[in-house]
Amino acid sequence: MAVQGKEQILAYAAKRKQLCSDIKAMIVEQLCLDMDPEFITDDQPLFGRGLELDSIDSLELSVGVFNNWQISLSDDDNSAFSSVNSLADFILANSDGDGDDAGTADLSGGMDLG
Amino acid sequence: MKCNIDCSVILKMLPHRYPFLLIDKVTEIEPGKSAVGIKNVTINEPYFQGHFPGEPIVPGVLLLESLAQLTAVMYGAEALPADTDWGKISAKDFEGLDLAGSVGYLAELRNVKFMSLVKPGDTLELHAKKGASMGNLMQIKVFARVGNKNVVEGMLTVSQGR
Repeated sequence: MAVQGKEQILAYAAKRKQLCSDIKAMIVEQLCLDMDPEFITDDQPLFGRGLELDSIDSLELSVGVFNNWQISLSDDDNSAFSSVNSLADFILANSDGDGDDAGTADLSGGMDLG
Repeated sequence: MKCNIDCSVILKMLPHRYPFLLIDKVTEIEPGKSAVGIKNVTINEPYFQGHFPGEPIVPGVLLLESLAQLTAVMYGAEALPADTDWGKISAKDFEGLDLAGSVGYLAELRNVKFMSLVKPGDTLELHAKKGASMGNLMQIKVFARVGNKNVVEGMLTVSQGR
């Protein structure tokens, strides 16, 4: 059991690491940032100090999340954008279950925005 | 749906006035979702005095402003009842409403391309379609064409005033 548990943890860690680097790549691409995705750290604040994003960027990020992971963020989910780690938490928490769509941001038109 | 929003109605929906009301009529509207409008360009436009002497060309930012004004009509239309007959709309239908006072603001422009020069005599067909939205921000996919040729395309983000 312990060995299996360790493998599971390692598999989860690898999956999470990949997700975090996917998120960083998405942020840089979606916002046309002039920086290497690897320079964003997992716990760096995205807004204000840190990456210095703003509310207009958060709409663009929600489009990026929808295009990459088919998850809609509502206005109440803004805390998910605190850092790469919190966004990874949000995506993992919402990617498996059939999430409740009520009150989510309207991203229906976001799919063909490129 | 086809509609007949002429300049007297547009004056009720937008705060813009001469020389900055850059849309003449709206011919199709799905309130809050999409719209098609017309802007006729004439040699009388005041900015041709300086843009450019001897070579009148509509400034690209004013093409975007026309599209932004169409966008404001598109979402301002949501304030009227859903059963509004936009084919027979008139200025009287706006009594007691202050749409012009609650117009939104431009927040961002993305992926804007100017593909062709726009000159006096051109009829601009303006198109706006709602994309993603979050909070009071809304993305609008826009383009304008003269004849069947696109002259500008891009994406606006606007903040909704209401």
